[in-house]
Amino acid sequence: MSRWWRRPSVVRLASSVSVMAAVELVTGPPGSNAAPMAGVSGSFAEKVSFFGLFASPRWSVFLVYALVLYGVWSLWLHRGRQIRNAASVVLARPRNIAQRGTIRWSAAVVLVVVAALLPHFVSDPFWQTAMVEQIAVYVLLALGLNVVVGFAGLLDLGFVAFYAVGAYATAWVTGALPLPPLFGVHLNPFFAIPIAIALAMLAGVLLGTPTLRLRGDYLAIVTLGFGEIIFLFANNLNGITGGSAGTGQIPHFSIHLASIKYVWGLAPVPYYYLTLAFVVLFVIAFSLLEHSRIGRAWTAIREDEVAAESLGINPLKFKVMAFAIGAASAGFAGVVTAAQTNFVNPSVFTLYFSINILVLVIFGGMGSISGAVLGAIVIQTVSMYLIHTPPAGYQPQDLYIYLGALLIVMMIFRPSGLLPSKRRRREIGLAEAGEGHMDEVLTGDTP
Amino acid sequence: MINYFTSHFDTLRLEFWPLLVGGLASGFIYAMVAIGYTLVYGVLRLINFAHSEIFMSGGFASYFVIRAVIGTSQPSGLESILLIGLGVVSGGAAGALVAVLVERVAYRPLRRRKAPALAYLISAIGASYFLFNLAGKEFGRYLYAYPTIFVNHPVFTIFGAGVQMYYVVVAIAGVIMLITLDRVVAKSKLGRSVRAVAQDAETASLMGVNIDRTIVVTFLIGGALGGAAAFLYGITSGVIYTMGFTPALKAFTAAVLGGIGNIRGAVLGGLLLGVVESLSVAFVQGSYIDVAAFTVLVLVLLFRPTGILGERLGRSA
Amino acid sequence: MKLRLSKTVAGVASSALLLMTVPAIGLASASGAAAKPTFTIGYEGPLTGSNAQLGLNMVFAVQLAINNANKTHALPFNLKLASYDDQGSPTLSPAQASSAVHNKTLVAIVGPAFSGATRAAEPYYSAAHIATVSPSATAAALATGKKNNNFMRVVAGDDVQGAADAKFLVKTKSVKSLYVIDDGSFYGAGLAAVVAQEAKSLGASVTPNSYPESGSCGGTASASEYTAAATQIVASGATGLFYGGYYCDFGLLLGALNSAGYKGVVMSGDGSLSPALITGTSPASAANNVYLSVAGGGSANLTGKLATAYRALSHFPANNATYAAQSYDATNMIIAALKKVYKAKISVAKLRPAIITALHKLVYHGVTGKLSFQSNGDLNAKTIVDFSQVQNGQIVSVGHS
Repeated sequence: MSRWWRRPSVVRLASSVSVMAAVELVTGPPGSNAAPMAGVSGSFAEKVSFFGLFASPRWSVFLVYALVLYGVWSLWLHRGRQIRNAASVVLARPRNIAQRGTIRWSAAVVLVVVAALLPHFVSDPFWQTAMVEQIAVYVLLALGLNVVVGFAGLLDLGFVAFYAVGAYATAWVTGALPLPPLFGVHLNPFFAIPIAIALAMLAGVLLGTPTLRLRGDYLAIVTLGFGEIIFLFANNLNGITGGSAGTGQIPHFSIHLASIKYVWGLAPVPYYYLTLAFVVLFVIAFSLLEHSRIGRAWTAIREDEVAAESLGINPLKFKVMAFAIGAASAGFAGVVTAAQTNFVNPSVFTLYFSINILVLVIFGGMGSISGAVLGAIVIQTVSMYLIHTPPAGYQPQDLYIYLGALLIVMMIFRPSGLLPSKRRRREIGLAEAGEGHMDEVLTGDTP
Repeated sequence: MINYFTSHFDTLRLEFWPLLVGGLASGFIYAMVAIGYTLVYGVLRLINFAHSEIFMSGGFASYFVIRAVIGTSQPSGLESILLIGLGVVSGGAAGALVAVLVERVAYRPLRRRKAPALAYLISAIGASYFLFNLAGKEFGRYLYAYPTIFVNHPVFTIFGAGVQMYYVVVAIAGVIMLITLDRVVAKSKLGRSVRAVAQDAETASLMGVNIDRTIVVTFLIGGALGGAAAFLYGITSGVIYTMGFTPALKAFTAAVLGGIGNIRGAVLGGLLLGVVESLSVAFVQGSYIDVAAFTVLVLVLLFRPTGILGERLGRSA
Repeated sequence: MKLRLSKTVAGVASSALLLMTVPAIGLASASGAAAKPTFTIGYEGPLTGSNAQLGLNMVFAVQLAINNANKTHALPFNLKLASYDDQGSPTLSPAQASSAVHNKTLVAIVGPAFSGATRAAEPYYSAAHIATVSPSATAAALATGKKNNNFMRVVAGDDVQGAADAKFLVKTKSVKSLYVIDDGSFYGAGLAAVVAQEAKSLGASVTPNSYPESGSCGGTASASEYTAAATQIVASGATGLFYGGYYCDFGLLLGALNSAGYKGVVMSGDGSLSPALITGTSPASAANNVYLSVAGGGSANLTGKLATAYRALSHFPANNATYAAQSYDATNMIIAALKKVYKAKISVAKLRPAIITALHKLVYHGVTGKLSFQSNGDLNAKTIVDFSQVQNGQIVSVGHS
């Protein structure tokens, strides 16, 4: 181990330079097929201002960044412990306060009030609409998937199917599909809410009963297949779903009570309140569930299925329950999307979408309700911000390069997510201390 | 109903052999990619979601090399054979390189921190997004076809079905690589260490196996096979920055079908999946090929919950 | 855990800092002299996600038209571009549409690019009387019903083309047994259905099938589905094949047909008519039996000086950029309409409906030909369908219907 290139400082320097070279490539000009290396060479050779002093190739600027990174990294290694200790002393008190139950509940209430007042502060019409379609709907989906993946530990790669069931159920009962609604009655989308949720839960049971005997990665691929099958049927059963064209006649929500007539139009704010109300409802229901007998059963199954079974827990029953309950919020999300945009077509319900939702949940903190909500809000807000107001020097088509890098960095520095659940945190803490092992990933003997 | 089946079985009877040959060609490619999943799974117990981008980089590398070498010439005979070799080697080398890089950047730091299994999944998805979008940025977001490497014509016929040169190339290249791999894993010292770690990492480590190095070797072998498969795939389908997504997905399905963690299972699963997909066009509309494939998967898993040859890498290969 | 948090914050903050100071390379934007009012022309389409390339092709052409107008025309106003990225998705497009509607200087939209996104966004635009001129949304349903429709498109409907294609295959090429494949998309399935129906009525036997877009081309199906498709086509003994879909998947299908040894005639519509088909198809697979069709003018590309300028702006070769010429024309039609109705001190609220009316009256000679709109937003009927053939790596015109 005495070879010079293996010395920690050399490795650190090389890593700093490599990281900066990657950043250089990502932020550089694009290449093309005719000149595949043009982007690469341009990224390094293009002349830019050297910190406002003189014109210089990009690589020189980034070399300085790399040296700064190396310096900060080294400093952190040598002085990091002191900084961390100082920080923990400062943070200890607020942290203790934050752990108290009453404080947590009042914080939740404050957050809900803030969320309720938000439309009055957000005047940008893009954000008003995005708050419903791109943030609140994703929060609902993340909440649902968190029950399946976080609570019960079942890796579901086809979660989008339940969202699709919700959206198509809405189109069906409001009479917008080629398939005529039951008894020929065209219902208001309000009545679609219970029906869509029930159908999504039913889909959860139907999918879960045969497949949930499988474990881990076998389950992942089967759920993925289920998601694809729902997509293919939606895209090809022209006489039932309208095929790839979808359907554009879904009515808005409306209220007809005696003499009161109120039809929701294109304005997103009413949808925001409706969705917010359901988010609160789902959060309360899911946290009650988490601490109930069912929630404890899920934890037991997640941690050791064989042991759970030997304690008299029927794993299949509880897993199917997790699927159905998780599907409920996705089904409702489908209603909101269908009714607000008046339009459903299959192009939304792809595997990419399922993966994105999984990313939200794990990024936020698996198994933690507040984590799932926060993860959805953070990632969606950042994506929407970049799409709506691209900063100078940022090419919109490169969004996913940055998001990809963010995911890797995040997992390296905080693998348990933004707000991990207490139990998960303890499991990971134990694993780091060398007691027990997390989820069977081989850690090897890296220094 | 009976009518449906008689008429479709009639189609199947007429088209069985050509569909079988085409299916086997796809199957060899699935099998080679599936081995990448199964090797990593066998050793690390995780799904390498970035494998699709390892495949993609192999495709682009061999495309650029072949394009530069061929220029405007019309290769034939020995030249074609050498070019095929070159494509396989350059694709394999790039695949191996990217696989090792992915391990170094997206996996090893997590292993050091003993991150939970799903953190690896997210980190791999991140690596995948990063890599394919970067490729789109650097190489343009179009589909590019290889120049003509060999003249495609029927080489021989089985039961009336003409077997095209392309299928022969895929089959021969595939069989050579799969046999080499099997021998390497079964006989060489590296292969032994891979199997030892897959079977019992702790004991292997105590016996002096360097686990880190073994993991790198695993990624290297899987990446090389995936990259080489991308070349064979690209001859027909061209290269584009999004090319990795579905073949990798299918290969992952194949690995699970055969029993993930098991090399021979991956080969069997790949071939079976290719053939099932191909034969299903005799029965259903093209849109429902995936439905047929996943239905077969679910049926197999219902009866054999760990796949057809569901054993661990260490015990079986 | 707190240790981890502070570390993360430090890491994220420092990388964010670095990213922000990275030297800027953005879309070039033109700026004119002061004192003239500035109006915005919006573009809505996919700029990120798997369909980004199509949207990028268009947005740079829009930018080019706007730059040229600012530079060369002596216009009494300045123009600028605002792009609204909907990722081609119907769930994102309402947010972008409402954003565009509330843009105080926005007078009209080029786009939306995708039919689904258009359907979801159109209620917002029509409520605000904003003209939307799409270079690419061909779904039939978009242009029906309304009079003086605010939605218009510079691409032709698919029924004319499909009928001419069927005639070409059955009569000119004497195809007795035709295999018809579509990609399951709104556009592809519609066109293929017309071809199948017409070919049947002309006496050919028709086998229809559908293979969804592959993952390589922005869908999720496996590209190896075409290996199976090609095998079946060869085994069916069909002497002609029609493909309803886009160039990328058509390229994959041609590759598979070649590998399977298919020798018959192959034809596809305007979705496949792109020089990118040539780079995306190996010379052997496109050997002289591949025909393409397009309803009048749709095959045009930006050429000459425009192509050079487009390339400088976008870094894409103009002859590969599907829909760039159409977007260029759409933008120029909007500019021409705006020029007609502009008066000093006119408000944007009055300009918007005036532009719709003016566009319906406009006859414009653009890169893609002579363009004028019907009341429902479709182009005035074009009876001529151009046919072309792939010959030695070139797309060569071989006549018209």
